[in-house]
Amino acid sequence: MKKHVMGWDRANMDIVRDVDAWRVDPATTGNGTPVERAPDPELGTAIIPAARYYSPEFMQLEWDRVWTKTWLLGGRSDDLKEPGDYICTDIGKESVLIVRQADGSIRAFPNVCLHRGNRLRPEGRGNAEEFRCMYHHWTYGLDGKLDHIPDLCTFMQGGPDGMALTALPCTEWNSFVWYSLNPDVEPFDDFIDPLKQHLEPYHPERMAWTRDITVEWDCNWKTSVDAFSETYHVQGIHPQLKWYLDDVNVQIDCYGKHNRYLIPFAAISPRVKLPSQIPPAIYEIMVNAGMDPAEYEGRTSDIRRDVQLFKRKHGAAQGKDYSELNDEQLTDDYHYTIFPNVSVNVHSDDIMLFRQRPHATDPNKMYYDIWMFELVPEGEEWPERVRHQHFRHGDKTIGQVLDQDAFNLPTVQTGMKSDFFPGLWIGDQELRIRHFHKVLDDYIYGPGQKTADDL
Amino acid sequence: MDLGLQGKKAILVGAARGIGYSVAEILAREGCDIALTARSEDSVKDAVAELSKYGTNVVGKAVNAKKADEYKAWFDWAIEELDGVDIMIPFTSAGGGMGSEKYWHNAFEVDLMGAVRAVEAVMPRMEEQNRGSIVLIGTTSVLEAMGGPQAYNALKASIVTYGKQLALFHGKHNVRVNVVSPGPIEFEGGNWDMIKGTMEKFYNAQLRQQPTGRLGRPEEVARAIVFLASDAASWCNGSHLVVDGGYTNRTHF
Repeated sequence: MKKHVMGWDRANMDIVRDVDAWRVDPATTGNGTPVERAPDPELGTAIIPAARYYSPEFMQLEWDRVWTKTWLLGGRSDDLKEPGDYICTDIGKESVLIVRQADGSIRAFPNVCLHRGNRLRPEGRGNAEEFRCMYHHWTYGLDGKLDHIPDLCTFMQGGPDGMALTALPCTEWNSFVWYSLNPDVEPFDDFIDPLKQHLEPYHPERMAWTRDITVEWDCNWKTSVDAFSETYHVQGIHPQLKWYLDDVNVQIDCYGKHNRYLIPFAAISPRVKLPSQIPPAIYEIMVNAGMDPAEYEGRTSDIRRDVQLFKRKHGAAQGKDYSELNDEQLTDDYHYTIFPNVSVNVHSDDIMLFRQRPHATDPNKMYYDIWMFELVPEGEEWPERVRHQHFRHGDKTIGQVLDQDAFNLPTVQTGMKSDFFPGLWIGDQELRIRHFHKVLDDYIYGPGQKTADDL
Repeated sequence: MDLGLQGKKAILVGAARGIGYSVAEILAREGCDIALTARSEDSVKDAVAELSKYGTNVVGKAVNAKKADEYKAWFDWAIEELDGVDIMIPFTSAGGGMGSEKYWHNAFEVDLMGAVRAVEAVMPRMEEQNRGSIVLIGTTSVLEAMGGPQAYNALKASIVTYGKQLALFHGKHNVRVNVVSPGPIEFEGGNWDMIKGTMEKFYNAQLRQQPTGRLGRPEEVARAIVFLASDAASWCNGSHLVVDGGYTNRTHF
């Protein structure tokens, strides 16, 4: 088999220019985000069975062995500023309350009254002094203790065992809150390893919400994860991005459960000739960095490096502390998949995160959460929290690039059910898809236990 | 029709790609010796290598039109290399842009002074020879609105005026000056190629404005430029030829 990724045989790819992208020397990154290439995993070339995207049986396996077993992203710490602030987030048939305690810690509970099963709160955010069920006013404290049952004396059996909601594991990391439906889940640090060193230098706690959207998409959650795990589709559905990023000089790294790719931004794809004028999207990057594109004397192929140098020089004066990031991170897209369902583009000035949640009952539907955050320059006022929006697939635009991604997914989901489509035919540029499914296999069938007959 | 280009000496500025390169190719094929320049050393090298296959003397060296002294020195070098100059065509342009005063300086330095300095660099030799043909490049954006009030449009307009008056002034030396204004031209790596990729709606609106439903190709403008540059156009002087496939709406009386 040919070598993976950076060893792609560029001479035989559909490109018009051979481009060597400038890269940071891995020896210079210190305690920052590592840039070394991870060794390519041996993942073979087998097809990925299509049925796992629509089979109810596989969906059930995922529920039993993934969603109820692993750590899951719940929300943002800055939505839990004061005691009593809570986030109510749904996953499959479950709903979870994550609550800031008086002592500053957080706790998580199933969002369900122990009396008759009513949901205590609708999905969303809020502040509560207590959680009182609307139905019969059973009342729980912020700590999940069942403080009051009206007419308790009429229950011959007394109150439910322990008189408290089940405490679910939860933690805060890097300005985000995480929870698990599994009381015996592995320690969070083991789960997230090695991404702490990768993602902490971005300081997401200095970034504020700019978009909070949930779209119901007509596809399986994995169809969405796959879509964001490769750059091969740029030349297909995002033709305009060829004048924005280098979709060929992409580094792919797979680590344990998680993986990433590094894409040069503010660059021209080797798939098109070098333009003499600055492309509109790269023009925007320069303006956002504080540069005047009209002043720019270099070639369009030099812009990426020059933006990096400019931001390095002027960042501090703009109230932007880039000191823990390497030069590449000042322009490029470092894109991580945090297993199972978080796809996150981290940039020096913003984060674009997608949380992909399964539908409760239908494998052909999912919830696509778009969370975007922007660096608030030092000394500037923290902006007001954006409102959460929720809509159906295609009802509203979510921006040109994401619209292009979204447009395709229902036809992928439908097409995969064809009797003539056994499964995904994955290439090296899509190595992260293969890695993601391998991690999924290990959860579902046990490490290395998946057989050829399994979905 | 014989264009009478065999053995002529042409100096071309900004001729490594697009219309400029296409003109260079036609001239070389017609038997002209060529000195060409562009900003990028690599693209000049590539163009010279490619054009040399036609068997004429083709030389090239990169220069930045904004650097007046180096630019002037380049012309001296080119005239010496060719041992004369019969044809001179400056294609170089800083392109469009709005929102920064710097665009006016760029358009002034490159689009306007790039042409003015080129003319002044070759004129003494053309006067001395009592022979020469200059074609300046305008744009349909001097005739009709395009992309907002841009320095590019306004300073390209000054080329049309400048070209006409040059023609009147230097006619006595048998030097002809004409202006060609192309409409949108598409080629791989060109501006319209990028616009097609990045601003599809805007691009499609241009297509709808073209009677033939397509943009022009570099050689379709280049042939008109070469004609005006050649002796075949001996009675064309001070003319402004719009080559746009019918793109402009106005009637050119």
